[in-house]
Amino acid sequence: MSLKTQIIIAVIIIAALLIIMNMVKKKALELRYALAWLVVGGCILILDFFPKLIEKLSALMGIYSPINMLFFWGFCFSLGIIFVLTVAVSRLSIRIKELAQELALYKHEE
Amino acid sequence: MKKLVIIPAYNESESIKSTVEEIKKKAEGFDYVVINDCSKDDTQKICEENGYNIINLPINLGIGGAVQTGYRYGYRMGYDLAVQVDGDGQHDPEFLVKMADYLQEQHIDMVIGSRFIRKEGFQSSGARRIGIRYFTVLIKLLTGEKITDPTSGLRLVNREIMGMFANDYPKDYPEPESVVSVLRKKKKVAEIPVVMRERTGGVSSISLKKSVYYMIKVTLAIVIEWIRR
Repeated sequence: MSLKTQIIIAVIIIAALLIIMNMVKKKALELRYALAWLVVGGCILILDFFPKLIEKLSALMGIYSPINMLFFWGFCFSLGIIFVLTVAVSRLSIRIKELAQELALYKHEE
Repeated sequence: MKKLVIIPAYNESESIKSTVEEIKKKAEGFDYVVINDCSKDDTQKICEENGYNIINLPINLGIGGAVQTGYRYGYRMGYDLAVQVDGDGQHDPEFLVKMADYLQEQHIDMVIGSRFIRKEGFQSSGARRIGIRYFTVLIKLLTGEKITDPTSGLRLVNREIMGMFANDYPKDYPEPESVVSVLRKKKKVAEIPVVMRERTGGVSSISLKKSVYYMIKVTLAIVIEWIRR
């Protein structure tokens, strides 16, 4: 990885982290959901600064090509986030249902 | 003994009036409440013009969420019995008194009106009957109880089950699943023969396209409900 690529990646990641932080500040994104993205951004940044780590990690896991390991971890992370989101959606839909029912009953009492 | 008829209604403007009037006439001793599941037609207007007791949901919740609203209402208002009668005119309120008497005399927790005991009246299409038979067999395998009409919406429950359903009721296609949840709690479920009619208005919530999803979802739900014991 050339120094140029490293700098480009670092700039993109730092920009993304700043945008996420700003959204948390503006309450557009809950901190609990932002946390996962911040951790991932931090990890990519570390790997970007120390590219040797990628090779060491893939050797450790017995994966021949470092790029495959990156794909693998990216895929796992995406699945994880989607799963957490479906859990959150389920919880929200139950809460919305209960709110709607309570609102209807409350309006009926008046 | 306070008795409540829960009438879930979604776009039932054609049949809601006759349904409610028939209940008033034939179901002596029963109060009623229409749960309007955010209908897009004149269901709410018709009910309000006629001074019916109606609860309007602010968003569409589907049949399960609507019926559950009725159970919550009934439980809170101190009713002893609650029965679901669909707003499409399929259920004949003539059987309500008989069902309530049967529940009290036999000390049963849930009475289901079944169209397949005497096989009279509207029997549903062939494909649907096969689906219903499949659920009967599945429930028999899991719980050991024979429920001939597990998809019947005409079901009367006592206060205990009303409270149970008020807290936890399946969202879509709730009938077979909720029967299993009642059986799992070792409550008594019985069926009495009723005659159902072809719907006078509206469309079935189960189209051909949805029936595959229906079979898989309800099967899974029944199995999960059974494992929860």
